[in-house]
Amino acid sequence: MRRVLAAAFVVALGVVGGFAQSPQSITSSSKSKSAFAPRSVVNKYCLACHSESLKTAGVVLEGLDFSNVASNAELLERVLRKVRTGEMPPAGMPRPDPALEKTFTNWVMSALGRNAAAHPNPGRATIRRLNRAEYSNAVRDLLALDIHPGDLLPVDDSGYGFDNVGSVLSVSPTLLERYLSVSRLISRLAIGDPSTKAEEEDFVPAEARRVGGARKQRNEPEGDDLPFDSSGGLAFSYYFALDAEYTLRVKLGGGQVGNDPRPRYEIRVPVKAGLRTVGVTYLRESAKAELEAPRLINPLTPPAPIPSLPAEMDVRLDGVRLKRFEVPHTGNLPPQVTDVLVAGPYNPTGRGNTASRARVFICRPSSAQYEESCARKILARLSRRAFRRAVTNADIQPLLTFYHAGRREGDFDHGIEKALRAILVSPDFLFRIERDPAGAMPGTVYRVSDMELASRLSFFLWSSIPDERLLTLAEGRRLHLHEVLNQQVRRMLDDRRSQAFVSNFAGQWLYLRNLALAKPDPDVFPEFDEALRQSFLKETNLFFESVLREDRSVLDLLGTNYTYLNQRLAEHYGIPNIYGPQFRRVAFTDPNRGGLLGQGSILTVTSYPNRTSVVQRGKWILEALLGTPPPPPPPDIPPLKSKNAEGKLLTIRGQMEQHRSNTVCASCHARMDPLGFALENYDGVGKWRASEAGTAIDPSGQLPDGTQFVGPAGLRQALLNGHRDEYLETVTSRLLTYALGRGLEYYDRPVVRAIVRKAARDNYRLSSLITGIVSSTPFQMRSTPENVSHQEIAATSHVSTQLRHRNSSSAARRDGARAHASQKHGG
Amino acid sequence: MVPALTLAKNTAANPTARLGFVYVPNGIIMERWTPISEGAGFAFSPIMQALEPFSDRLLVLSGLAQVNGRALGDGAGDHARAGATWLTGVHPKKTEGANIQAGISADQIAARELGKTTQLGSLEIGLESPTLAGDCDSGYSCAYTNTISWRSPTTPNPMEVDPRAVFERLFGDGDSTDPASRLASLNEQRSILDYVAADVNRLKGELAASDRSKLTEYLEAIRDIERRIQKAEEQNATMQLPVMERPSSIPEEFDDHARLMMDLIVIAYQTDMTRVVSCMIAREGSNRSYRSIGVADGHHSVTHHQNDPEKIEKTAKINHLHTQTFAYLLEKMRSIPDGDGTLLDHSMILYGSSISDGNAHTHDNLPLVLAGGGCGQIKGNRHIRFAKETPMNNLLLTMLSKAGLHPLSKLGDSNGFLEDISEV
Repeated sequence: MRRVLAAAFVVALGVVGGFAQSPQSITSSSKSKSAFAPRSVVNKYCLACHSESLKTAGVVLEGLDFSNVASNAELLERVLRKVRTGEMPPAGMPRPDPALEKTFTNWVMSALGRNAAAHPNPGRATIRRLNRAEYSNAVRDLLALDIHPGDLLPVDDSGYGFDNVGSVLSVSPTLLERYLSVSRLISRLAIGDPSTKAEEEDFVPAEARRVGGARKQRNEPEGDDLPFDSSGGLAFSYYFALDAEYTLRVKLGGGQVGNDPRPRYEIRVPVKAGLRTVGVTYLRESAKAELEAPRLINPLTPPAPIPSLPAEMDVRLDGVRLKRFEVPHTGNLPPQVTDVLVAGPYNPTGRGNTASRARVFICRPSSAQYEESCARKILARLSRRAFRRAVTNADIQPLLTFYHAGRREGDFDHGIEKALRAILVSPDFLFRIERDPAGAMPGTVYRVSDMELASRLSFFLWSSIPDERLLTLAEGRRLHLHEVLNQQVRRMLDDRRSQAFVSNFAGQWLYLRNLALAKPDPDVFPEFDEALRQSFLKETNLFFESVLREDRSVLDLLGTNYTYLNQRLAEHYGIPNIYGPQFRRVAFTDPNRGGLLGQGSILTVTSYPNRTSVVQRGKWILEALLGTPPPPPPPDIPPLKSKNAEGKLLTIRGQMEQHRSNTVCASCHARMDPLGFALENYDGVGKWRASEAGTAIDPSGQLPDGTQFVGPAGLRQALLNGHRDEYLETVTSRLLTYALGRGLEYYDRPVVRAIVRKAARDNYRLSSLITGIVSSTPFQMRSTPENVSHQEIAATSHVSTQLRHRNSSSAARRDGARAHASQKHGG
Repeated sequence: MVPALTLAKNTAANPTARLGFVYVPNGIIMERWTPISEGAGFAFSPIMQALEPFSDRLLVLSGLAQVNGRALGDGAGDHARAGATWLTGVHPKKTEGANIQAGISADQIAARELGKTTQLGSLEIGLESPTLAGDCDSGYSCAYTNTISWRSPTTPNPMEVDPRAVFERLFGDGDSTDPASRLASLNEQRSILDYVAADVNRLKGELAASDRSKLTEYLEAIRDIERRIQKAEEQNATMQLPVMERPSSIPEEFDDHARLMMDLIVIAYQTDMTRVVSCMIAREGSNRSYRSIGVADGHHSVTHHQNDPEKIEKTAKINHLHTQTFAYLLEKMRSIPDGDGTLLDHSMILYGSSISDGNAHTHDNLPLVLAGGGCGQIKGNRHIRFAKETPMNNLLLTMLSKAGLHPLSKLGDSNGFLEDISEV
C-alpha cells in the first residue's frame, strides 16, 4: 500500500509545479531573495502593534521566522491579505512606500507559492449530495427526461455563496420522502405507465400570477418557441405521459366577450408521448384594433361597446398549429390568455416511442427466457451511468430483485420501472462519494481516481453526471493525462450542458438568483413586470454565456461594448430600433452601458424595492467583484440625518457624506459609497436617469486611495485599471469554491494566485481560468482526514508503522507517506 | 377549501397535547406590543388586538431572553443567531458553511417523544422561500436564518413553503387517498428503503469517519420514514383521511399563502398526523415587502427604523399582519372539536421572535405569546413579566414537560421551570 502513494506524489508535484513556479516567478523571487529582507519591513511597520507584548488582534509578528514559510503559511497569508487590501498598516500609521510594499508582498507571495508547491495540500471536501439543479440534470442525462424534477425537492441551503457546498447539504426525512415520491414520478414517466390516471394541469403566464400586481397589456408572447408573427399568449413544455388523447383548454380573462355563455376554447387531440411544447398565441395582425373608438354623441349615455373583428388565436403543439380559434372581443386588444389547461391521458394507446424509452431499452427480450439477461444488461448500464463508476454484480443483484417484483405485477417494462425507481433513491446516485485509498495514513495526499475526476469535471462544468465519453476515458485511466483533460474541458465547455455552469455559477456568484425574489414597488417602478424580470435574467445569462462560448477574457465581464437585448429591454434602456421579443446581440456606442455593471439584473438585485441603495451596490462590488467585503455594520448605527446643521434638507449623497464624517462609519462607507454613487444614474430597476426628484445626479466619486471617477464608465475603468488583480483573484476564488464544493482555506490561496498568474498568458480567458482550476492540486487531489481516532486507524489499517506518524506535523506526515510509495494509485 | 373530514380518534378522557412554535423575524415594535398592565385581565396592546378573542386561552410572556443570540465575541450576525437560538438556546457556530452547528431544538425534542404515536414526528412550515444567493447574515450560513428547527445540533430541518408538498407529506402523493392503494404504495416504499439502508450501511463501511456523518443523516431519515410507514399501516384501518383538494402552487399573496398553510397545520393536528409543528412566518432577516397592507419597503429595512416614525409605523403594520395570521390559526383550532374540547384547548402554541427590538438587535425581553389550553394545564388571560434575563429556554422546558415528555432537567441554557404559566 505504501507503494501506491509515491507515484501520486510525483504527479502532484507535476501538477502544482506546472504553474506555481513559472520561469518568471523563479527568476524574480531568486533575484529579490538575495537583496530583500522581509523582516525589516515587518519590524519597521508592524511591531508597533503586533509585538510579543501587545499582541493586537491576537497577531504577533515579532520574531516571525521568514525562513520557515511552511509553519507560518496561515499567518503569512493573513499578513499578505491585509497589506494588499491596504487595511494594514491602518490609516494614520506610517506605511511603506508603494515600491517597498510591492517588493514585500511579492516576496511573501513567491515564498508562499514555493511552499505550496513543495507541500501540496488539496484539502478535503466532504461527501456531497446532489443539489436540486444537479439532480434535475442527472435525471435528464441519465434518462433523456428533461422535466426538472429537482424543483420538486426542498430548496438547498447554501454556504460560501454556493448551494453545492457539501457541508451544508443535509438530509432530512422530508427530503427523503420527496426523493421517494419524485423517483416514482420519474420512473413512471421515463418508462411510461399505462395505468397513469388522467389529470388536469394548469399553466399560467408568469404575468397573470401576480395577483394585485401591475398588469399591463404589453401582450408579448411568453416563451421562445412561439412564431415571430405572434402576440400575447404563452408557450410551455409539457410531458405527455403516454400515447393518448389529451385536451387543451384555453381560458381568457379581461373584458366582456359578447353575450354569455363564453365559448369554450378547447380541443381534444391524440398526442404521442414525450416532452412537447404547447403554445397558445394570437396572430399579430389580428390582435390589432381594427376600428377606432366612436366619438361620444351623447355624453350622458355611455356608448355600447363596438365589437372589433375577432382575433385569431392559434393553439400549437411543437410549433404546428392544431387549431385556430376566432376570439370575439371589444377594445384594442383581445382578452389575455390567463390559463392553459392540459388534461389527460385519455384512451391511451401505448407507452409510445419516447427518447427516454429509447435510452433505457437498449435491448428487448425476444422471448421470456431472455428477459432476465436483458434486464441485467439494462440495469447494469443505467446504474453505471447513475453511480458514475464501474458496477459489479453486488450492485445489480438487488436491482434485479425490484425488477422481478415489478415483473410479477406487470410486464417486462414495469419491472424495469421498479428497478429504476430504486436506482434513483440509492445513495450511490444521490451522493458524490470519493474513496480514500485503502490503508492510507492520515493526512496522505493522493490523486483522485480517474472515475472520481470524471465526476468532479462533469459536476463542475455541467452540474450533472459524466457522459459516456468521460466514463470511457476514465475507465481506460486516460482522463487525467494533461492533453486528454484539456481536450475534454474544451469539449465540455462547448457542449450545451455547460449552460448549467452559467446559471448555477454566475447565478450565485453575481446573486442573479435573487432576481426571482426581487419585488420592485409598482408605484415607484410601474414599468417593472414579469416580462422585464425574465428579460433581465436572460440578458445576463446570454452575456455570460457569450464570454464562455467565445472564450473571452473575464475582464470582458466588466467592460465590453455589447449585450443581448429584445425590444422590451432595449426600450427600458433607451436604445432605439430593436424590435420583437427575440434576444439579439447589440453593440453599444454609449460607454456607460456594457458589462455587468450596466445590466438591469444586477442593478435591481442591489436595490431596495422602492429606491436605489448606494450602500448595497457598493457592497456588491466589494463582495462579488473585489473579494473584500466590508465588515457588517455595528449594532448602534446613528440614524441618517435628513438635514444639516443649518437645517437645510440633504440629498442622499449629502446624508451619506454626513454619515461618513463619523470615523467608525467612514472606515467602511468610504470604500462602499463612492462605488455605489457612480451607479446612481441607474434607478432601482436599472433604467437610466439624469436626475432624481428634480436634482441632477452627481455620479462622481473618489476611493480612499485617491482614485477619482465619474459614472459607470469611469467606475469600470477604475476597477479595470486599479483593481484588476483583486477582481481576477476574486473570480478565480469563486470559481474554485464552486468547483470544489467547499470554502477556501489559506492553503488554497497560492493555488488561486498561480492560476491567475498562468492565465495572464491567455489574457485571462474564462477557459484559461477553468483549465487552471481543473489542473490544480485541490481539483485533482485529495488528502485523507487528519483527525482519525486511534481506534479507527487500528481498525482500518494494515500498516503497523502508521501509528508512529500520528503526532507528527501534517506536512511531515504527507512527505513521509510519499517517501515510501512507488506505484501509481489507480482506480 | 373546507375539507370534509372525519375526526381522528382521540379520547375525551385523555386528550393529547399538540405543540406549535410560530416564529416571526426581525423583532417587533415593543412599545406597541407589550401590554401596559400585568396579571389577569390585562389590556391588549395595539399589535395584539387580533388575539383578544382568544384571551382566555392565551398568556403574554415578557422578560424572557435568548442570551445566546448575542454576539458573545462573534461580532455581527444577530439575525442568524436569532433564528438559530429561538428553540435551541444554544450559541450557534459562526461559519459560512463548514461544520454548521447549533443545538437540537425544542420542537425536535418533542417530536422524538410525541412522534412515537403519530405518522410524522413533526412538520416544518415556512411562508417565505429560503435565500437563493449571496450571504445571509454576516458570515453565517443561510441554514441559520432559513430554519428554527434543528433535528440535531448539526442537521437543520428545511421549512417547507410549498403547500402542495406539505399536503403530499401528510397524505401521500398516490393517485388516490384510498387506504388500500396507499398501503400498497407504502409497501413499495418500504422495500426501497430496505434496499437503500443496506446500501448506506455498506458504504459507511467503506468511508472515513468524517464522511460518514452525511450517510448517518440519511440512515436516520430512512428509519424515520420506516417508522412512519409502520404507523400508517397500523392506523390505516381506523383512520379516514380528509377529502381535500391537493393545493396546486404557492399562492403569490402573503395572506392566501399563509391561510392555506395554517389550514394544513390544523389538518395535520386534527388528523393526528403529527403533534408538533414549527412555522416561520418569514425567514429571519426577511426583507420581503407587504404591499397588501401598503408596505412596499422590505421588512428588514424598516425594522432598522432609527426612530423614523414612518418606518416604525410600517414595521408595526407588518407586526400586526403577522399577529392576524396567528389569530387565524387560533380561530381555526378553536373551531375544531377535539375530545371534550377543541383543538385549541388541547394545544400549546408559542408565538414570537428571538429579537425584541429589531432596530438594535436585542435578544432579551422577547415578544412571546403562549396560546392554547395545554389540556387544562395552562391558565390563560394573563400577562406575566419574568425577571430580566430569565432564559426563554425555561419556557420551552416547561412546555415540553406540560406536553407530557419525560421530565427533562435542562435544555440549552435553561436554569429552571416557569410554573407561573399554570397557576397564579
